[in-house]
Amino acid sequence: MGALKGTISARRYQVMGELPAGFQDEYIAKLNDNAFRDALTAAHKEERLGWVQVHNLLDTDFDDLNMWLYQQYAVFQMRVDKKVLPAKLFQATFQKRQQTWCKANNREKVPFSVKQELRETLELEMLAMTLPRVTTAEVVWNTAEGWVLFHSHAEAQNDRFRKLFHRTFGFILKPVTPFDYLSDLPDTAARLMSGGTTDLRAVPE
Amino acid sequence: MSEFQGGSDGVPGGADDEIPGHIAADFYLWTWFASEVGRGQVDVPDQSPFTWWVDDRLSFRSAGEDKVNAVLTGDNPSTTPEARAALAGGKVLRDVRLALRRDDREYAVTLRGSGIQIAGAKLPALVKTGDPAEIIYERMFLYEELNWMVGAMFRRFAEERTSPEWSSFADRMRAWAGGRAADEV
Repeated sequence: MGALKGTISARRYQVMGELPAGFQDEYIAKLNDNAFRDALTAAHKEERLGWVQVHNLLDTDFDDLNMWLYQQYAVFQMRVDKKVLPAKLFQATFQKRQQTWCKANNREKVPFSVKQELRETLELEMLAMTLPRVTTAEVVWNTAEGWVLFHSHAEAQNDRFRKLFHRTFGFILKPVTPFDYLSDLPDTAARLMSGGTTDLRAVPE
Repeated sequence: MSEFQGGSDGVPGGADDEIPGHIAADFYLWTWFASEVGRGQVDVPDQSPFTWWVDDRLSFRSAGEDKVNAVLTGDNPSTTPEARAALAGGKVLRDVRLALRRDDREYAVTLRGSGIQIAGAKLPALVKTGDPAEIIYERMFLYEELNWMVGAMFRRFAEERTSPEWSSFADRMRAWAGGRAADEV
């Protein structure tokens, strides 16, 4: 949360580029093209990501401007799904499967190729039973002033966001730092960079 | 050539844009000491001034490391002997939670890490319900004001940190960290 309620923890970016005139219709298509899509099979294990509406992560249709464009603010979310198998349960079940195979085939060891097959079969079975871990992070884009707030400080989420934003809209995002407030004081900024941490330990007499 | 440019991780605007850790540490220290000695105010021409003070959380790290190794929370942690002892012992600030007031609007925000990132920003509650457009517009106006205040503080800090007077300012902070009252240094 953050755009509509609660506290705000967000990284700010400058959008490097100009919006095309009448961008609204074009961006409906771009958001729809890069909206979150469910996997085609329940056993899909790769990470999936895309845009969803800010009001509900199950709403992935951006045709209605009133649901994502508020005056100059475009507001939506990035959704990331990833299925993660419970490692200990997987290993324990895999071991049992191997024991069962050995008994049924009167063998002491499972051949490598069979082991691979057992592993893949079990993985597919367990993935089909596992719900994905779902994360979302809100995006607020001031289209009039060319800045974006991404409501997460996690590096991995920010990496995904910058890539997806670039893929969707074609814009590079530049992180905004307090140094941007020194743009008219280049000498001050340079001297600040070259200093060190002020040491407050007592100076020996 | 990669489709992306500008970051070492192949993503536009990546980790290359981080600013050196010593700057954030000194900035957080400056916000703390300035508020302790009654200088926690910024006057900007043609703008109404704002004031700040340390709120309810300070976290410290050892110089040269990024991991937090001491956290002080609760009422007025900045006035405790433990907080100043941490500085005198060579620790530096990693995060600071500030309260800021401009006109009748009061904010709280954690400034975090070397990037001086805004986290846990609590905005004044003006509109609580209604049209989402109205809520977003107002919240973004307030967020912008907060962001502007942080920028104005950083600008003031940068000017003081790079001035010849910083050395005597540091001596005052050292005496204060060593146990002297803020109004005596």
